[in-house]
Amino acid sequence: MRRGISVAAAAAALALAVSACGGQDTPTQPAAPASAADPAAVSGEVTWWDTSDATNEGPVFQQLITDFQAKYPKIKVNYVNVPFAEAQNKFKTAAQSGSGAPDVLRAEVGWVAEFASLGYLAPLEGTPALDKPEDFLPSPASSGKYNGKTYAVPQVTDTLGLLYNKELLKKAGHDAPPKTFAELKQTALDVKSKAGADGLALNVDAYFLLPFIYGEGGDLLDVASKKITVAAPQAAAGVKIVEDLITSGAAAKPAIQDSYTNAETAFKEGKVAMIFNGPWSNTDNLGGKVFKDNPDNFGIAPVPAGSAKAGAPTGGHDYAVYAGSKNLPASYLFVQFMASAESQAKVAGKLGLLPARPSAYTLPDAQANDMIAKWKDPMAAAVERPWIPEGGQLFQPLLEGYQKIAAGQQGSDAALQDVAKAYQGILKGWSL
Amino acid sequence: MVSTLTRATGPRTRTHGRGARGPARSAALHATLIAASLVAVFPVAWLVLTSLKPRDAWQSSTVELFNSPSLDNYLQVLTQTAFLRWLFNSLLVAAMTTVLGVVLAATTGYAVSRFRFPGHRSIMWMLLITQMFPVAILIVPIYNLLAGLGLINQFPGLVVAYLTSTVPFCAWMMKGYFDTVPVEIDEAGRVDGLTPFGTFWRLILPLSKPGLAVAAFYSFITAWAEVAYATAFMTGDDKYTLAVGLGQFVGQHKAEWGLLTASSVLIAAPAAVVFLLVQRHLVTGLTAGATKS
Amino acid sequence: MTTQVVDGTAAGTPARGGARRPRGEGRAGRFLARHWYAWAMCAPVVVVTLVLIGYPLVRGVYLSLTDATEANMGRTIGMNTIPSTYEFVGLANYTAIVTSAEFLSRLAWTITWTVVCVALHYGLGLGLAMLLNRPLRLRSLYRMLLVLPWAVPAFVSAFIWRYLLNGEFGVVNAMLRAAGLPGVQWLDDPLWAKASVIAVNVWLGVPFMMLALLGGLQAIPRELYEAAEVDGATPWQRFRHITLPGLRPVSSTVVLLGTIWTFNQFPVIFLVTRGGPGGSSEILVTYAYRQAFEGIRNYSGSAAWGVLILVLLVVMAVVYRRALRRQGEAW
Repeated sequence: MRRGISVAAAAAALALAVSACGGQDTPTQPAAPASAADPAAVSGEVTWWDTSDATNEGPVFQQLITDFQAKYPKIKVNYVNVPFAEAQNKFKTAAQSGSGAPDVLRAEVGWVAEFASLGYLAPLEGTPALDKPEDFLPSPASSGKYNGKTYAVPQVTDTLGLLYNKELLKKAGHDAPPKTFAELKQTALDVKSKAGADGLALNVDAYFLLPFIYGEGGDLLDVASKKITVAAPQAAAGVKIVEDLITSGAAAKPAIQDSYTNAETAFKEGKVAMIFNGPWSNTDNLGGKVFKDNPDNFGIAPVPAGSAKAGAPTGGHDYAVYAGSKNLPASYLFVQFMASAESQAKVAGKLGLLPARPSAYTLPDAQANDMIAKWKDPMAAAVERPWIPEGGQLFQPLLEGYQKIAAGQQGSDAALQDVAKAYQGILKGWSL
Repeated sequence: MVSTLTRATGPRTRTHGRGARGPARSAALHATLIAASLVAVFPVAWLVLTSLKPRDAWQSSTVELFNSPSLDNYLQVLTQTAFLRWLFNSLLVAAMTTVLGVVLAATTGYAVSRFRFPGHRSIMWMLLITQMFPVAILIVPIYNLLAGLGLINQFPGLVVAYLTSTVPFCAWMMKGYFDTVPVEIDEAGRVDGLTPFGTFWRLILPLSKPGLAVAAFYSFITAWAEVAYATAFMTGDDKYTLAVGLGQFVGQHKAEWGLLTASSVLIAAPAAVVFLLVQRHLVTGLTAGATKS
Repeated sequence: MTTQVVDGTAAGTPARGGARRPRGEGRAGRFLARHWYAWAMCAPVVVVTLVLIGYPLVRGVYLSLTDATEANMGRTIGMNTIPSTYEFVGLANYTAIVTSAEFLSRLAWTITWTVVCVALHYGLGLGLAMLLNRPLRLRSLYRMLLVLPWAVPAFVSAFIWRYLLNGEFGVVNAMLRAAGLPGVQWLDDPLWAKASVIAVNVWLGVPFMMLALLGGLQAIPRELYEAAEVDGATPWQRFRHITLPGLRPVSSTVVLLGTIWTFNQFPVIFLVTRGGPGGSSEILVTYAYRQAFEGIRNYSGSAAWGVLILVLLVVMAVVYRRALRRQGEAW
């Protein structure tokens, strides 16, 4: 299958070279006329940078491209898989130079505001790319907006849920997963004392700290009033809960490096009963020792609630169009196709990733995958993140703070004060 | 050949002078080398073992040497990914970098070692300073330069970028080696009526094989496994080199360790072959060469 | 005309060999004729370096005196135009860096990291090179095995080491536990994390040093050793008075460049610990990278960091050169 791609890529490169010689027609008119034109008449090439897992997810998206090209035979799509870890930097370097950037990018929800603020993205209002905007879940859709304009449309959405090993919980005397942080601690301690496994595995990562902060009614920032709230009492209360989970032994002592992998390994082998993770891990988990032959043992629940609510961050990926694209009309059509309910349902069915369109959940393709329905409740608790250009810089200081708390180097209050100070350096003019 | 000649005669005379090494010393020598080799090889061996395990078996809480060993990962890498294309691209880039780099470095190193021309010191400083500016900060300006020259997503662009990091070291290195070659040899060349180029090419280079071998291997390895420039400059996946292509096995949440390790082994193998090719030149013909001329 | 001049000095003028009178007419012509070869030999390298590094460097110095970021440097991309609004701010970027709380502690750790790594690289590399420079059975095999760490792509090695050093499931701790010892928090404890990144970097760097020095050892004429043995010199005396001076041209280069590289060694830190835990293993370059390249890129800040690191290293190189000169080795 992959060899087919490289052949296709070679063919595309050849086509590109040929068309470059012939002087490609590139109508770079502003967005409005594009929608008026007949879509079937649009021709040209679209380069798409896909940041999905090349081995497991890429082929599904390539299948969609084949469908797209069948529908629009005059448009040629160049599929380029860019490793996720490199994509943000690579795109920015290429975008600022005006040479080498793709026409369409699969952007993580947190990148869009930043790219848009820097002028890298094309606004999508009035273009075919923004199709049926009312049929997007509000939280993922908000990730594509910046300064009142839409710069990206959601591809998939996700959030964190509480994943649990039903048998271990049962052994500990719990038929249902914990619904509050207090129950989480108790359940974890019961598992530890009765089921011969650890209760909870934490992933020392800023993103995974958010459910605790949200649960107590806190957030990193209050965007509306330009306030840094990461060290405010609510957020601090959330982090204290994590601290208590570690010191009380309810959570196994977390690894700091490779925290995610270690937590997953322990969960898949039945060495720990509960973890927080997202829908992207479904396939991985179901391949684990304790779930492989017994998929019913794998439980998915919303993250437990704190004193304020149950909340987990909204994640996922969007489609964005590069402002400097030489072929905007074709790019818009490509995004329209890829973000359609049908495409999202296909992705959901094959990969278990959550569609960002409510209507996609009802399509047979999506319903064929029983994981999708199981994530409906956790998804209802998803909280919008602060979609600001500086959003991408917020995690590193929080990660360092969390690492210090998890290693016992610093108490949660002192660590959060440091994080708030770091945020002040990033967000000029914001108050504490 | 000259090199074998030296190896055969040189050590023997020394052994005679000092007397044969005692068995205890010999054992200690081997023990040290074996210990060092073990440390050097262990992680690599683990890489090989992991590559033979099933795709997801690396993620395990128990440490095991073998887990149903098979070549499945290799098969998948070779047949279902663009690995061979990446390999070809890398070979092309590394070969161009090595050849160009060694030639440029040798001429520069020789000029600086032998001639006191105006600017020879500034050249050495200049080469040094290029190494001091952090690469991470240079990527964007070099990208813009290459974009202006139309060299983005082109192998020559990548090779030129690599040369900026290999040539300075190799030139310095070669200067060091040339400094140890007696000037009398140049003079002999001049007496025989050779031009400076001729002297350099016919007399000095053959005597500097160890230095050339080190420079060549250094250039090759640098270009072979470089990630940062290749990731930024190669925007189409038909131009990916191995290091960039390998990144595809590392997803946002999960790495394909089976595939990653198998391809790493496949990558290390050509590097080892190149080393095998150059390593016989690591033994110089200096003594023999010097007496001959 | 030019050809004639060139022909006139066909034999060239190696400096150490003493100058020969060129027959060219006029000072300029003579000057050109005399140095023609040397300049021709260096020209390609100089041109490429000046374009690819020189230009970014000069521009970097300029940017470091402004407040340019990705958001305020003017550009037009398709329908979007961003006006250029950055201004000259003098040395503000530099003072901000130097007075920041992190700078001194990062600098101290960077220097420790550099000194320890280079010392171990050189010491172990020289030791192994000398062992391999002897007549020895299986010498090629040892040489091959010892070079292996260099043949594996560094980023893969870094991942492998992280995997081996994993606190809970890693092989190294498994072996320790099998031997009845407690496991070590290799990457999760600040001090151990520092030791671990040094160990990984040493593992990665020794093969290169070993080969470079082996090449240098080979270049030392054997007659010197033979003569010394005839004179009854001890092995230590031979090492001290023949090996070390003979290696000096090569070692001064590898030590100098090794220091520069280690100081700027981005990948090892970034891949093995990501600067953690809690930022404790972050060296100046990785720290600068995070400061300037995470989120909206701070071009002026990154340039200031780059220039600052450059200045630190130039100072180091000048001091090093002075020290070498005192030993009679100049370049």
